[in-house]
Amino acid sequence: MAENTDKMVIDGVELVGIWKEFLPSRILYEDVTTEFLDEVKKLPGGATIARCYQCGTCTGGCTLPEFVDKFNPRGFINLVRRGHYDILVSDYKDLVWKCVSCNRCTHRCPRGVNTQEVVRAIAKFLEDRKVFGKLTNDEAFDEIFMDEVLTDGRIDEVKIVKDFYSKTGRLKDMMSGDQLSLGFKMFTSGRIKLFGGKIKDWKKVSQKLKEELQ
Amino acid sequence: MKTVLVIGGGVTGLKASHELAEMGYNVSLVEKQDYLGGQVAKHKYYKLAPDMRLVSEVLDPVIKNVESNSNIKVHKHSTITSLSGNAPEFKVKIKNSKGESEESFGAIVVATGFEHFDPTVKQEYGYSRFKDVVTNAEVEELLNPNGPTKGELKRPSDGKIPKKVAIFQCVGSRDKQVGNPYCCRVGCVVSTKQAIEIKEKYPDTEVYVYYMDMRMFGRGWEELYGKAMEEYEVIFTRGRGAEVTLKNEQLSLRAEETIMDRPIQHSVDMIILAAGQAPGDGTIDAAKVLGIKQNEYGYLAPKDDFLSPNESSKAGIFIAGADKGPLDVENCIVEGAAVAAKVASSLK
Repeated sequence: MAENTDKMVIDGVELVGIWKEFLPSRILYEDVTTEFLDEVKKLPGGATIARCYQCGTCTGGCTLPEFVDKFNPRGFINLVRRGHYDILVSDYKDLVWKCVSCNRCTHRCPRGVNTQEVVRAIAKFLEDRKVFGKLTNDEAFDEIFMDEVLTDGRIDEVKIVKDFYSKTGRLKDMMSGDQLSLGFKMFTSGRIKLFGGKIKDWKKVSQKLKEELQ
Repeated sequence: MKTVLVIGGGVTGLKASHELAEMGYNVSLVEKQDYLGGQVAKHKYYKLAPDMRLVSEVLDPVIKNVESNSNIKVHKHSTITSLSGNAPEFKVKIKNSKGESEESFGAIVVATGFEHFDPTVKQEYGYSRFKDVVTNAEVEELLNPNGPTKGELKRPSDGKIPKKVAIFQCVGSRDKQVGNPYCCRVGCVVSTKQAIEIKEKYPDTEVYVYYMDMRMFGRGWEELYGKAMEEYEVIFTRGRGAEVTLKNEQLSLRAEETIMDRPIQHSVDMIILAAGQAPGDGTIDAAKVLGIKQNEYGYLAPKDDFLSPNESSKAGIFIAGADKGPLDVENCIVEGAAVAAKVASSLK
C-alpha cells in the first residue's frame, strides 16, 4: 500500500481523521455481504430475488402500505441483497410476514421477480434464524392442543404431554421421578390411557375444520 | 483529386481508410504511435460488450484490411504539422522521425479519437495514492491473457486475487468539478462486462458496482445488465462513490445507498474506477493545426449535429468517431464507414 494510514491528507488538509473527531459522523453501516442473498436464493420461491433492479413497482402498487405503512417489498429485497441483516431484523421482522399474497407485485414486476414468493422466502429466512423469538409455554401448548384436535378430534393425554415437553425443549424434565410417578398413579387409577380413542370418519370433519380455519 | 488523408489509426480511422480505398481512393493514414488500433490496442482491450466477443476478432480484420490494401499508405510514428490550401486541394506537412514532407490531398478525415480520463485529479478516490485503486482501462489489460499478468486479476499491491471488488461509475463523467458534465456512454456497459468477466473467472469474488444510473442504451446492453444481476450476482448499488481511505490496511470506501437513505462504509480489496472519456491529445492538436471548431469540452464540433454530422466547420475536412464525443467501438466502425461515404460523395 502506498500509504499506511487511516488518514487522507490532501494539500496538507487532513480529511478523514482528526478534524472529524469533534464532528458527529453519520451512522455508517458496514461490512456489506452477499451471504444472505445466497441463502434466500436457495429457499423455495427465493430464486428470482437476484433479478430485481429496484424500480419500486412492487411497493408502489402494494395493497399493504395503506394499513402497514412501512411495508416495502423492494426494501426487503435490497436489505437482503446488500447484506443488511441487522436492519432487516430490527426494523422489519414484524412486517415481512404481513404480506396478504394478493400478487399484484408479481404480476406487475418488469423484471420477472416473483415478488410475493420472494417476500415469503425472506420471512422464512428470518423464521429459520429464530428472530421471532421462542414460543412461550402457553403458545406452545395452544399449538399442540389445536394440532391434536385437528388430527384426532380427541385429546390423548400421554401424547400431548410428551409433545408439549419436547416442543419446549424439556424432555428431560418429563422423565424426572416426580413426573413419572404421577403419570403411573394416573394410569393405575384410570385417569389416563396409553392410547387415545379414535373418532369415526374424523378425517372429513378435520378437513372441514382446516378449511374453515384457513 | 482522388487522395484522402486520414488522421488517426484507431478503429474509426482504419475503417474509413479501408472503405475509401475500396472505392478507389488513394489514402494516406497518419498515426502518431508505432502501432495501429488506437486506444483499443494501447490498453489491450480484451472483450467487447455485449456479446463478450474477443477484441482480436474485430480489430485484427480491420487492421489487416488496411495493411493489405495497396491503395493505403500507412505513416506510423507521424503527425501533421501544418495545413495550407483549401478544398479540394489541401497541402499538408507530415512529420516523422526522419523529417517532414509535404503532400497534397483532396479531403481530410480527422479520426483522432479520445483518451481515458485520468482520475488522479479526483483525489478523494485515491488513484495513484493507493496501488489497488485502478482504472477500467488497466483492468482490461489485467484481464487480457496477453497482458502483464497473463489474464489474472492480480491486484497491483501484492499480486493477490481480490476477494471483494468495488467498481465506481462516472469517474470524470457527469462531473462539473472536472469540467466533464457529459456522460461517457460506455462506462456502464464496460463495468458490467468487466464485472461478469471477473465473476466468470473467480466465482468466489464479490463484485459491487456503485452507480448513479445504469445507462444501458446500446444493443444488448440492458440484457447484459440483467444477466450480471441474475446469473453472476453482481451487486449494483445506487449511490456514487464518495471517498476511498485505508482502514486497518484495507481499502475502505464510503458511499450512500441512496435508495435506502443509508450511508455505508465498505471494505474491499480492490477498487476499479470507471474512468470516462476525454478528448485525446491528438484531437486537440489536430483541431489547432487544421483550424477546425471544437465544442466547449474540446471535442470536434460538427457543422450541423443533425444534418451534417461528419463535416467539420471547414469545407473538405471531415470528422468521425470518438473525437466528436464519447463513443463505443461498435459505433466507431459505423462512423468510419459513414465518413467514407460522405468523403466519396464530396470528391465525386
